[in-house]
Amino acid sequence: MTEIDNIVAEIKQATDYQANRRILREHIQTELHMTYGNGLFKITPELIAFVATWNCDEMYIEDTYENPIKVDRTEFLELAQQRYQAVMNDWHQQYNELRRLRRV
Amino acid sequence: MTGINNIMNLEDSAESKGVVFFAHNTVDVDYVRIADLSARLVEQHLNLPITLVTDTESQPEHDYDHVVRVEYKGNNFRNDHISKEVKQWKNHGRYTAYEHSPYDNTLLIDTDYLVLDDGLLKLMELDYDYRVMENSNSSAETMPARMGQVSLPYLWATVVMFRKCPRSKMFFDLVGRIQRNWAYYRNLFMVDGTSYRNDYSFAMANIILNGYCSTSKNIIPWKMFTVVQEVVRMDTNLKDKIIVRLSDLAITIPKHNVHIMDKNFLTSEAFEEFVEEILDV
Repeated sequence: MTEIDNIVAEIKQATDYQANRRILREHIQTELHMTYGNGLFKITPELIAFVATWNCDEMYIEDTYENPIKVDRTEFLELAQQRYQAVMNDWHQQYNELRRLRRV
Repeated sequence: MTGINNIMNLEDSAESKGVVFFAHNTVDVDYVRIADLSARLVEQHLNLPITLVTDTESQPEHDYDHVVRVEYKGNNFRNDHISKEVKQWKNHGRYTAYEHSPYDNTLLIDTDYLVLDDGLLKLMELDYDYRVMENSNSSAETMPARMGQVSLPYLWATVVMFRKCPRSKMFFDLVGRIQRNWAYYRNLFMVDGTSYRNDYSFAMANIILNGYCSTSKNIIPWKMFTVVQEVVRMDTNLKDKIIVRLSDLAITIPKHNVHIMDKNFLTSEAFEEFVEEILDV
């Protein structure tokens, strides 16, 4: 077998698409966690929307461990948006790669 | 430190951090070899010193930060779900991690947990006393989540992090007490089976320490990924992905930490090749 044949044979074996998709999503859920001010936050659209619409620059938000964390709203929002966008971009890219593998 | 979720006392910049492995060879499995290979992954992805706790006869090859020699005491067996055979299991003494760890902040990791990303460092930045992995996402459809049919959920002692503090010491002392009085605690918590299991004793200690409450904040808030089936090979020939080849199928996973239960694979040449590939990437 040529190297190409080997690669195609290997990729054909990797076709448990639903399992791959589920595992990738779990990985993304992990990656969405961000530390800030000694707190741990899972960045969600709801959290971003809440912080974006708050009308005071200094605020306290409950983190994953149920601790109130003092937050600089502007700074936190920027970091949260960056993290969310980076992780979602990565998810989209990896998801498309999985779909491509499925079609081989 | 007081309370379960304390967030004060941030003098942690000078605190030491490190990883502790336990590896006691059995008649079937060379756990020290697995530790040697896993240690290379830890160094690559976490860049933390590693202390190995092992018996007096083993000959580790990795250049560990410390090697702690202990005389293994215990007699335990497990049902290997892959070979379906009963095998020797030297899993006693994990509670001594607290006294054996030379670090202020310790990651206590099973050698079959392959560290392929730096996600755990994120948690070490925070203030905490101890934290244990709560959930596992499996390559199989379902995994049992309770210690027995009518018991409480268990934790995964595969990944535990702790800071040297009175509450962590109390936690590990309690795990030790549970191990020494396993028959009693096994009945108290209505555990199925008789073999001592660290996952259960850590869960029991956590439940007791949290006022006999099974919901706790001493957990790592994401899921560990576990491969329960027989592994034939692992490849890294896709960017940012790993292909885990099982006997009848393969799964493609992101390059993240993975718990491999197949000890035969972890002691094989194929695993060593995988580690070499990862380190070359």
